[in-house]
Parts: sequence; C-alpha cells; structure tokens
Amino acid sequence: MTVVAEPSKKLVCWSCGSDNDADAQFCATCGKLQPYTPTDYFSFFGLPRRFVLDRVALEKQFYQLSRKLHPDLYVRAGAQEQQWSLEKSSVLNDAWRTLREPLARTEYLLSLLGIRLEEQSRDASDRAAASGTVKQQVVPSDLLEEVFELNMQLEEMRMAKAGGADDPELRRDLEAARENFYQQLKVSEQDLQRLWAEWDSSADNEATRQTTQEKMVDLLNRRSYIRNLLRDVEEALKS
Amino acid sequence: MAYSDKVIEHYNNPRNVGQMDKNSTAVGTGLVGAPECGDVMRLQIKVNPETRVIEDAKFKTFGCGSAIASSSLATEWVKGKTVDEALEIKNTDIVKELALPPVKIHCSVLAEDAIRAAIGDWKKKNVALGEQAAVPVAIAAN
Repeated sequence: MTVVAEPSKKLVCWSCGSDNDADAQFCATCGKLQPYTPTDYFSFFGLPRRFVLDRVALEKQFYQLSRKLHPDLYVRAGAQEQQWSLEKSSVLNDAWRTLREPLARTEYLLSLLGIRLEEQSRDASDRAAASGTVKQQVVPSDLLEEVFELNMQLEEMRMAKAGGADDPELRRDLEAARENFYQQLKVSEQDLQRLWAEWDSSADNEATRQTTQEKMVDLLNRRSYIRNLLRDVEEALKS
Repeated sequence: MAYSDKVIEHYNNPRNVGQMDKNSTAVGTGLVGAPECGDVMRLQIKVNPETRVIEDAKFKTFGCGSAIASSSLATEWVKGKTVDEALEIKNTDIVKELALPPVKIHCSVLAEDAIRAAIGDWKKKNVALGEQAAVPVAIAAN
C-alpha cells in the first residue's frame, strides 16, 4: 500500500480557476467535479486521521457522496469527468468499507503510519538473525504457552472423536477455554477503545502516540491468535 | 498448492516428535509462533554441558505441513551439532532442503527462530557454566 502524506496544497478548479481545499471533490464556486488524485481514505472523506470516528455521520456522508459521484450523472459530461466519477466512486466504496469497521479502520490507519501488521513477525526475525540474538516474539510468551496447551487439548479431542468417543471432561475444558477466549476478546476490545481515544487526543505528543501505537499492535496480534484458536475450538466442539 | 515430496515425507513420518523436561538444566526450550497463521512450534534440545553437543532434540508443532516438516528437519539437523554450529543453521537452508514455495518461507523462519530460542533458553539456564545469557532484542521504537 502506498503511504500518502496528508495533503496541504490547494486545489485550483480546472473549470473556473478558483481555489479549493486540496481534498475537495467538487469546486466550491462552480460545482464541477474535480480530478481524481490518489489519496488516503481519510482525506477522501475530508476527515482528520483518527481512530475514533462517528459512524452515523460517515454513513450520511457516504450516501451523499455516492449520489453526487455516481457515473450515471456524468453520461453527458466530458470523457475526463466520466473517468473521474468512475474512479472516485470506486475509491468511495473502498473507503467506506474500510473506515466503517473499527478494526479495519485501525489496521488501515496503522498502515498509513507505516506499521504493517503481517510483517511484524518477519521484521523481528530479521532483526534477531542480523544481530545473532533470540527473536523478540511478537506475542507475549504467556499467550504462546496458552495457545500451545490449548492446541494439545484440541488434538486430544480430535483423536477421541476419531476413535468414536467423546471425552466429556475434555469437552468441558475446551468450553471453559472458549469462554475465556471470548472474554479476552471483549477485554481487548475495551483496551483498544481506550488506546484509540488516547492516540486521537495526543496529536501534539509524538512519544505518547508511538507508545499507544505499539500497544495497539500488541493487542491486534494477540487478537489474531485468539480468533484462530476460537475457530479451531468451535470446530472441535462441533459434534 | 502441492507440497514437495520431502515435505510430505516429513509430514507423514515426523522425526523426533515429543517433549523433554523443560525444567532440566540440560534442556533448552524454544516456543515460538506466528500470529498471522496461528502456528505454534516448540523445539527442545538436550545439551551435553562438557562438549556443548546437542545430544537429543524434540519438537511439537501445531501448524501446516510446511511448519511441521521445517521443525522436523530442524531437530534432525541440530542433533550431533554443537550449540554454536546449530546457530549457523539458516532458514534458507531449510527452504532449499524442503523446496518450500515463497508463501511457506515463514514456516522455515519459525523453525530457525525456534532453534535460536531453544539455544537461548539453554544458555540462560547455564549462565553459571560461563555461558552468556541471551541478550533480548529491544523492539525498535521507530
């Protein structure tokens, strides 16, 4: 994904020559559709980069924009405007899908900040190999232990089932584990919400932002493990 | 995607599956994982304190065929090597031996991480023997 800097330039209307905000979709003076320039989803909606976002307001804006940008409105316009309306409509849909979901939005904003979640683990491996030290695991070791133990139980459960028997004690253990993991997901959601608010309100404090970003990454990694486990536990508990 | 014959061979007949007493000072345990795919790998080594030779190795991996084959191969390779020789094993060697496709390279990385982690754990336990404790890598702040 290309990281796009926050825009600061002015946009001059191609049709009437008047000045507009850089992320304006339409000229404020003549109302003409403005050219499509690749931009991040926040700028596309004219929003500041924030983790917390008013979904209702965003939805309203999405519907308004989709009506105004719809290619059907431009069938009689010039080829360029037709092209822009197509491009903008497509970005609008992507932007809406990404920004409306809090977790997708979080991953997206982190990626704009230069943090690629899928590559965290690989980067840590590379650093460890380069410096000849033990890799710093991207998830805490207590979670790894938990994941490992649970996988042992899941394996037992599968073997018991394959042998035609169901182990009621094991089933109870797994149900308890499932409950525990759902609880952990819930807690991590609350933690994330706190971190979002903290990051949003520390625009003038880069150090705080860095720390909160790192904590968000930890939480997201933890959640991705837990979600995988829950999928496996649900599968094993199905009978 | 098709697995290579070697991956299938290791997957069907994994070598050295099992566990050792992680509280023993002769045993180093590495537990590593990748959150992207949810794989977890435990690799253990038993080291002779005199010769520093890895006399036995065991693993248990929950993950795809390539992750299992990578860790199985890793236990075969570390056995008989000194800890310093074992640290020379690179994930690229594993990729080559198992003919892993690009999307499965992270499995071999996990195996290399596990070897390092196991040796690091053993060294930490044996600081008294003049071993240097593994230095944790600071997480880069940028």
